[in-house]
Amino acid sequence: MKKLLPRVSWDNLFLILLLLFCVVPLVWTALASFGISPNNNVLPPTWTLTPTLDNYVEVGVSDPSFLPSVLSSLAISTCATLLTVVVSFLAVYALTHSRFRGHNLLVQSFLILASLPVISYVIPLQNTLRIIHFYDTFMGLVLSETALFAPLAAYVLYGYLSQLSADIEDAARLDGAGIFQTLRWIILPIAAPGVAATAIIIFVLGWNQLLLPLILTGRVKTIPTHMIDYFVFERELTWPVAAAALIVSLLPIGVIVALAHQLLEQFHLTVLHQSD
Amino acid sequence: MISRWQRWLFLAPFFLIVVPFMIWPALFGLFASFTNYVPFQKISLHYIGFTNYARILSQPEFQKAIINVIVFTIFTVTIELLLGILIAYRLRKAFPGRKLIRFVLLIPWLISPVANGVMWRFLLQANAGLPNYWSELLRMPAMPSLLGQGLALPTIIGVDIWRKAPLVMFLTLPGLEFISSAYWDLAELEGMSLYVRLRHIVFPHLRLLILTVALLLISDALATSESILILTGGGPASETITPGLFSYNQAVNVFDWVGGATSAWLIAAAVLLVGMVYLILIRHEAA
Repeated sequence: MKKLLPRVSWDNLFLILLLLFCVVPLVWTALASFGISPNNNVLPPTWTLTPTLDNYVEVGVSDPSFLPSVLSSLAISTCATLLTVVVSFLAVYALTHSRFRGHNLLVQSFLILASLPVISYVIPLQNTLRIIHFYDTFMGLVLSETALFAPLAAYVLYGYLSQLSADIEDAARLDGAGIFQTLRWIILPIAAPGVAATAIIIFVLGWNQLLLPLILTGRVKTIPTHMIDYFVFERELTWPVAAAALIVSLLPIGVIVALAHQLLEQFHLTVLHQSD
Repeated sequence: MISRWQRWLFLAPFFLIVVPFMIWPALFGLFASFTNYVPFQKISLHYIGFTNYARILSQPEFQKAIINVIVFTIFTVTIELLLGILIAYRLRKAFPGRKLIRFVLLIPWLISPVANGVMWRFLLQANAGLPNYWSELLRMPAMPSLLGQGLALPTIIGVDIWRKAPLVMFLTLPGLEFISSAYWDLAELEGMSLYVRLRHIVFPHLRLLILTVALLLISDALATSESILILTGGGPASETITPGLFSYNQAVNVFDWVGGATSAWLIAAAVLLVGMVYLILIRHEAA
């Protein structure tokens, strides 16, 4: 027993340090957004301790374009997530129900496509969108984000769907259910937790995506591009206001992830390794 | 099994979006990088071989960017993988508060790379920042600016680790939970050290998953630009320039479209190379 004690405490020390490492910068930022920050110019540093909502007012009211950015971020991420999940779910369903030459290679290539960075093709993509008159449009951005996330979604969903037993489906088929009925009433309910977890991850990725909206749009703003504007072009940005903007931008996905945490614990990157 | 036409019907929407909005632009960038292409101008287009590549690769700034991104990738990916797996190992068994800790540790990843850049830029400043506060409180000598000369690249690596090590925990924990408890009992019984447990239980079981996570981390690191754009803009001098940032600057600020596309393709080539290695490795593992 005595021998066990030091190890347990090392274990907990690691956890405590880790949490501090993770939480202190976040708390510092959250406090600053309420106007609570240290003054390091005097020794020892002093704190301003009167909480205020001024910075949130500055972000939400004094800057009339921030709220529209939040709303368009919400709309774009939601549409891109739904479209991504629908097209990849259908594609993966087809793949789990058919075998052909190059089948596994196709699934593995989803992962390779998913790892292709945005910067490596976004410059020509801007031209493509200009040519088809999708540049700086809601539609163009949604489709581009869908193309970016669909390979990852397909790879993850393949992991979930390929594990489902074929028996239930065969039973449904024997009972006379068509393919769409089977999909809607048998497959979707079983796969729902995995699909929902994937959708949440895609939503977070879409919400935080910078380069696509930055390069593919001008007027259509999302929160990350709005922050770049703050930073690169506009008036001097003060730390407390930036902190407030950051907290506002974190809040929606923070709430979603907190609520759906149970689901996310099942998020698997299943690895497909058979060759053809 | 589904019929042939149903298969195509179901696959069609996926490819109708991914091909025009990802694969085609990527290929178009590749073709254009071998020509004198200028967007939306009527010029006689012709093949110029590797001229663009030679031009980009001979620029000292791009050479610096390559070195930086190699250093950045090696350090961030190694440390994020090790730290992330270590955290997952610590969290593998249920204990009170585990769910909360798991959620809190995921928050850094929920912050966008841009917001992360904004946040750390301010946290690292002198006036109301973190390191200076503690150094003054503890009466230590004044801190040098962590985004200044000589320290900027290590700082950027640290900031990336802060954001992504917990993500590795999130991705590897389900795999660790899957390891049969018999192994842990055996480890307890034989008094295995942490190193032995990681080396002989965790890594062999998670090999394929770790490879997959490594692929995603490496490709992300090779293209890194967003946080750096805010934190240092590539400076001081070119200490933190990356190929991603270079490509962005060429296309957006210098209006050298084909230069931007060419440097972007060098990133894509590096990522595809890593992807090929990944495919070969997992086939090897499966065999």
